[in-house]
Amino acid sequence: MQTKTPTSLLKRRTIITTALGGAAMTASTWRSARAQTPVTLSLAVWGAQAEEDAFNAAIRRYQQLHPNVTIKLEVSGNSSQLYQMVDTRLAGRQAPDLFRVQYQQLGRYAAARAVVDVSKYLDAGYDKGFLPAFWQAVSFKGKPHALPHHTDTFAVYTNRELMAKIGVQAPTSLEQSWSWAEFIRISRALKDKAAVPYGFAMSWQNGAAYRWLPFLYQHGGQLLNADSTATQLSKREGVETIAWTQSWFKEGLVPPSSSIKSSEQPQNLFANGTIGMLIGGDWQIPFLSKNMKAEWDVTYMPRDVGMASDLGGNALAISRDCKNPDVAADFLKFMVDEANMEDFVTAAQFLPVRSTLAARELPYKLRPEAMGVFVRQAATIPVHMVTTETLPNFAKINARLTDELDLAFTSGQDATTTARNIDSQVQPLLAA
Amino acid sequence: MPRDAHMLNDVAGRKSRHVWAARRRFLVPYVFISPNLALFTAFSFAPLLYAVYISFHDWSLIGDSEYLGLGNYVRLFKDKLFWQALANTGVYAAITVSASMAFGLLLAVGLNRRLPGRTVLRSLYFLPVVVAAVATGTMAAWMFNDNYGVVNAILVRLGMGRIAWLSTPQWALPSLAIATVWVRLGFNMIVYLAALQSIPSLYYEAAKIDGANAFHQFRHITLPLLMPATFLLLVLNIIYSFQVFDLIYVMTGGGPGFSTTMVVQYIYQAAFVTSEMGYASAMGIVLYVLILAFTVVQWRASRQSESVL
Repeated sequence: MQTKTPTSLLKRRTIITTALGGAAMTASTWRSARAQTPVTLSLAVWGAQAEEDAFNAAIRRYQQLHPNVTIKLEVSGNSSQLYQMVDTRLAGRQAPDLFRVQYQQLGRYAAARAVVDVSKYLDAGYDKGFLPAFWQAVSFKGKPHALPHHTDTFAVYTNRELMAKIGVQAPTSLEQSWSWAEFIRISRALKDKAAVPYGFAMSWQNGAAYRWLPFLYQHGGQLLNADSTATQLSKREGVETIAWTQSWFKEGLVPPSSSIKSSEQPQNLFANGTIGMLIGGDWQIPFLSKNMKAEWDVTYMPRDVGMASDLGGNALAISRDCKNPDVAADFLKFMVDEANMEDFVTAAQFLPVRSTLAARELPYKLRPEAMGVFVRQAATIPVHMVTTETLPNFAKINARLTDELDLAFTSGQDATTTARNIDSQVQPLLAA
Repeated sequence: MPRDAHMLNDVAGRKSRHVWAARRRFLVPYVFISPNLALFTAFSFAPLLYAVYISFHDWSLIGDSEYLGLGNYVRLFKDKLFWQALANTGVYAAITVSASMAFGLLLAVGLNRRLPGRTVLRSLYFLPVVVAAVATGTMAAWMFNDNYGVVNAILVRLGMGRIAWLSTPQWALPSLAIATVWVRLGFNMIVYLAALQSIPSLYYEAAKIDGANAFHQFRHITLPLLMPATFLLLVLNIIYSFQVFDLIYVMTGGGPGFSTTMVVQYIYQAAFVTSEMGYASAMGIVLYVLILAFTVVQWRASRQSESVL
């Protein structure tokens, strides 16, 4: 059977629109027509093999549709290495055309005008297709400076055999999620009755201190006030949340090596039975599916006065050094359209940021039932936390959180001093 | 071309050949060092000057810069963390330099004798030097891992308890020091080995005839004649210790708390985590001046000791 190639469709459409007259040209057709000259774009990303494969698959599809465009994928070892490379190349005026960026990092690039405002490449109402929190996460001064690509969030992995040993059934809905007290009781039981060295560990190593914030929101606190002009961690909720998370280490419920500055890989500890539960993200599913011999399940994050989970995931941005921003924008829109977003998130175990995809069950390659927990948990990401984490200075705020929380967890700094230190160090950053 | 022009070119050519012949002895060394000089200028000296320039600015690397004058240097002298990082670096340098040189010398003396398999042993000890620091750091991090590291496994087999090597402030620095000594040992051993083999055996034969025992020979012949090598290693090891980064980045990330935060770690943090390139450059310049001052002092001390000998 003969099939029409996308190229032939494009050519035919271009000819027809040209024949009808330039005035009738739509914006997207005009841009496609411009993209007939050979264009090479570089796309810098980091990620595990599944993510790299998913990027390559999307690139192949785009190149089939646009044979004149070549996308070169540049893969860094991790996000820190990518930012180091992108920043250095931005300083040298030779940054990659496009790059993957965490929502927490986008603000500083947008504030420095290092990424392109993509609003002029988008049709009216384009933002309506995305979940509002993520459109807000890529917006700076009301203009989108990247397109949301996917998200991820945190839930609790449990070792099935060990949970059976202590006679605990994990919650099966958000409403049934464990309270803080229940979670601690179960952690103690894992240590005492199931003879596991440690009850659990939290995946916030290598300086990902922002992942501590969901616990603060669960307890009714916030790092910043409503309009993000003042810090408020020294309030009761803040101090108590620090004290609660510090108690994990004091009581020996978590491995001492699992603090924020450590380079420990907590999924290794879960896979080899050193911990009974892992508070981790959906991207850890491929690793556990491949490396963990024991059976495991996923349940919801513990809750206190409220529910909250981590804002994870990434957007795709165009750098200011891009010579063909219109083609780059076309590629970005292709990457985040419904079909490609679904392909990417199902292949690499992420969550979609398009409303239509978030509303239905997706055919995940690994553990679709576990992914369902993450999808439902993602609804608890606090909007105010998104605002805080996407401030232009959030990278500096995160560095202060990392230093002070690590001191509390490993060096005995008390909760009140920790909260006060964070407040005093973060306040000048808000003014800046 | 007119004949006059040919003559002028000919005269100019003869003149330049004459200048070359007259100053050949003076110019030849510069010709030889010029490639090195050009590369050094392009990749070391020019960036150094640029770092000085940046250190007077507030610059995030990706945005516009703002002139601060001495602002970054004033901040640095008030920054408790910088002084803590400097103190940590000093302690780390004192431990690692002395230990890696002492053990390097011990190994060199041991492997300078006729031993079965000594070539293999020399290669094994030298292996960590040629392996990328990130790889050795990763291996060391696994070896010292609290939960599944081989070091704790051995301690448990010996009936001793586990030690939280990398996650407690009191053990993190010693763990790093042990890993550093493991990495640096081979280099010190090789330099000492070369120096030992250049000492003429007749000195030892004469000392034996005079009744000197092995310790006396080591104390009065070997050690003094190893002074140039010792000086070289001292300077190189101190520079290495003050510039340590990759091992710590991989093993502890500067934690727990700030217990293993070294100056270069802090510079990296300022440059690439909090995007304060001006402040990072100011710290880099201070580190450069410190290492330069130390090298000059050592160099003078070494010259004085050589003149005494």
